[in-house]
Amino acid sequence: MQSHKRLTLLVWVVLATLAMAVSVHAASDLVPIKNLSGDTVYVPKSDLGTIITDGKKPFAGKTITITVNVAGPKGPIEGPLHEWRKPWEELTGGKVNIVGIPYAEHYSKAMTDLLTGTGQYDIFMAGADWYGDLIAGNYIIPIDKYLNDPRFPKWDRSAMPLSQVALHTWQGHWYGVLNDSDGQVLYYRRDILTNASYRQRFKAKYGYDLPVPPKTWEQVRDIAEFFNGWDWNGDGEPDSGMVMHLKVGGQGMFHYASLSAPFVLFPGPTVDRYHNVYWFDPENMNPLINSPGHVRALELLLQLAKFGPSAQLSWDLGEAWDYFMRGKAVLTFSWGDVGGLVQEPGRSVIKGKLGTAMLPGTLEVWDREHNRWVKFDSPNVVGNTTGGSWHGVISALSKNPEVAYHFLAFLAMTPISQWHAYRGWDGVDPGTRHHFLAPQGDAKLEDYVAQGWNAEDVREYTQAYYETFFAERQLPYLRIPGGHEYWVSLDQHISEALTGAVSAKEALDRTARDWDEITNRLGRREQLELYRQSIGYGKPYQEAMGGK
Amino acid sequence: MGLAGAEMIGWPRLSYKTMTKRILLLPAAVWTLLFTVFPFVYTLWISTQRIRLGRPGYFVGMENFAKAFADYKLSESALGTILFIAVAVPLELILGFAFALLFNRDFRGQGVLRAIMTMPLFATPVGVAYLFTTILYEEGGLVNSLLAPLGWHPPWLSNPFWARLSVLLVDVWQWTPFCFLVFLAGLQGLPQEVLEAASLDVVKNRQIVTQVVLPMMAPLIRLVLLLRFIEAAKVFDTPFVLTSGGPGRSTEVYSLYTFRVGLRFFDLGYAAALSLLLLVAVMIVANLLFRGTREMYD
Repeated sequence: MQSHKRLTLLVWVVLATLAMAVSVHAASDLVPIKNLSGDTVYVPKSDLGTIITDGKKPFAGKTITITVNVAGPKGPIEGPLHEWRKPWEELTGGKVNIVGIPYAEHYSKAMTDLLTGTGQYDIFMAGADWYGDLIAGNYIIPIDKYLNDPRFPKWDRSAMPLSQVALHTWQGHWYGVLNDSDGQVLYYRRDILTNASYRQRFKAKYGYDLPVPPKTWEQVRDIAEFFNGWDWNGDGEPDSGMVMHLKVGGQGMFHYASLSAPFVLFPGPTVDRYHNVYWFDPENMNPLINSPGHVRALELLLQLAKFGPSAQLSWDLGEAWDYFMRGKAVLTFSWGDVGGLVQEPGRSVIKGKLGTAMLPGTLEVWDREHNRWVKFDSPNVVGNTTGGSWHGVISALSKNPEVAYHFLAFLAMTPISQWHAYRGWDGVDPGTRHHFLAPQGDAKLEDYVAQGWNAEDVREYTQAYYETFFAERQLPYLRIPGGHEYWVSLDQHISEALTGAVSAKEALDRTARDWDEITNRLGRREQLELYRQSIGYGKPYQEAMGGK
Repeated sequence: MGLAGAEMIGWPRLSYKTMTKRILLLPAAVWTLLFTVFPFVYTLWISTQRIRLGRPGYFVGMENFAKAFADYKLSESALGTILFIAVAVPLELILGFAFALLFNRDFRGQGVLRAIMTMPLFATPVGVAYLFTTILYEEGGLVNSLLAPLGWHPPWLSNPFWARLSVLLVDVWQWTPFCFLVFLAGLQGLPQEVLEAASLDVVKNRQIVTQVVLPMMAPLIRLVLLLRFIEAAKVFDTPFVLTSGGPGRSTEVYSLYTFRVGLRFFDLGYAAALSLLLLVAVMIVANLLFRGTREMYD
């Protein structure tokens, strides 16, 4: 009996010891990595890649140079590079040289380096809209061979929405490594739109309940009009309905692209001549930019611009965002940065009052095939990946492509990528399931709150981005050579319309004329070929989007 | 046997003295060839090419130049630049001359005021443009804050007319001091006995200025006009920073358009052609002005 007891005790001791050993082993399987801000993330050892975990430093003596939009060590997109540079250097022995270049110069500098064959840079933190030029010139290398190589850090491509996969790949090959995920969403003042008195007045004026959030652009127009020009925030000054960044060169044309998508993009099962196309006719490269869907969308944008400060025609991103964060406008639609910046008490007065939603749709869509407007029962809603989605691509001229990929993959590992999303200020906006809350993802609300987010703000924010990126239908991304030039032309002519110099139709006719000239100069046949590749022409829609 | 210092060496047979001169001139000649002649010749060659990113370029002859004459954007930019020159340069000269007349006398604090007057001259144009971005900021910038009590709220940067005016004002603010400084030096170099004699003959100061000072200063005025014309024709920094050429294309001056074509859209052949066209236009006008100045001196 006594011996039986002893045996039982011995078994328990052994089991306890084993359990302790297992937990210690599990803990030791997590490698702590501390960044510049002093935060530590824990990365599974198996995810770090054998180059690091075998204790060698094979990159000793090797330096890679990376270009990025200049913003400083605490600024968007550039900040994260500084955050993780030192720990990566300590683990690998390599060196990272960060070259900040002003946004307006970045593309030119990169292209000049590639065009002249200088090869000064290994990595470009490029905008996804550069791909047309980068691919056409074979200026960047595909990274497929590294993706499943055990030597390199693991990052989760399966967590990315197809809309983002499409931006990092070309013809099924991976070129870019996950970093930032850009797309535009609607931001609104939750407290103002749910104010009972305002809601009553709104209904009296427009004959329907003020929708929170608005589901169509027409509703957005009504809300912006209703709240424009009077003091709804109690600061003693008249406030605005909507604020946008509309300066030439201030990325105002992205507002237009996001807004116009549901008016133009006629749904269908495949990507063909009349369905799921937005930019050009895939049969002949004729611009669609002055088609009735586009014109109506621009007319709406012109109306919306009237419900905001007149100065916004000269405003860049920062100025428009600042106006919204000072509580002066009830609506804006822009990138994910706004959600994070609103949480900064020194800069924003609307933390805890921020509503976020996927961009609205429209009940009428232009059908090019039959030349008519088609009425829908429910809004035609279109997701978007508008913007740069700034991420690393490796120069074909790099002498150290493996070192370059290793650094980019290190930054894309889930714990580090999640830290970027939680942090908010760093410009690396959420876009994969690891950034979204349950049930759509595995990010934790408490981790966002620990970084200073208001719980309700972040719930809506991440939900809106999930819906935007995982939406069934997406605004096709312009990824052909000359993409930048097409955008600049659109930007300038939209600005002309906004100043009243020309009508919406005339502005878009001018844009179409410019686009034809650009297409002809770059070679219509080659452009058409690349355009078809970029949109997955002729394929079933899901396949064209990068799905299998 | 020749004289020392004049012995014949090398082929063709040159004197030692000549050889020394040429060797001493060599760095300057190389410098000029490398940084002036070569870029010019290279630009000429590029202007006959169609260059496209990532694709082979090819010879197009004069096509880029022909395209320029059918380019409505170029016409608008050129017209905007001409308008800018036509207003900014005379304004700078008139103000500069007026200030020079004002400072061409003894008064207390003259030195301090003169130093303050010339300060804009030493600021970089890009810096000045950024400074004015904040000064002219429509929502609470310095100027509009001062004008607010008057109920006036000019749309400095968001309206095409006002944006053009803003670019003009910044340029006038920055370059009037240059004209002022040169004119002041000119005025102070005028022979005093002539001015004294004139003051005995003429009653009004205005007549002295128009009938005596201005004719004597004419060559210098032409020279300043020439220099300012050349600079104004190339204006770039101010519109680039202040308005990015907007709203619309209202402040997209010639140089800014050329810059975009070349270094934004990488249509390098066309950009080279545009640069050469500007060079030719500026040279023609500069030549006319210069010839006039030379005739005056003669």
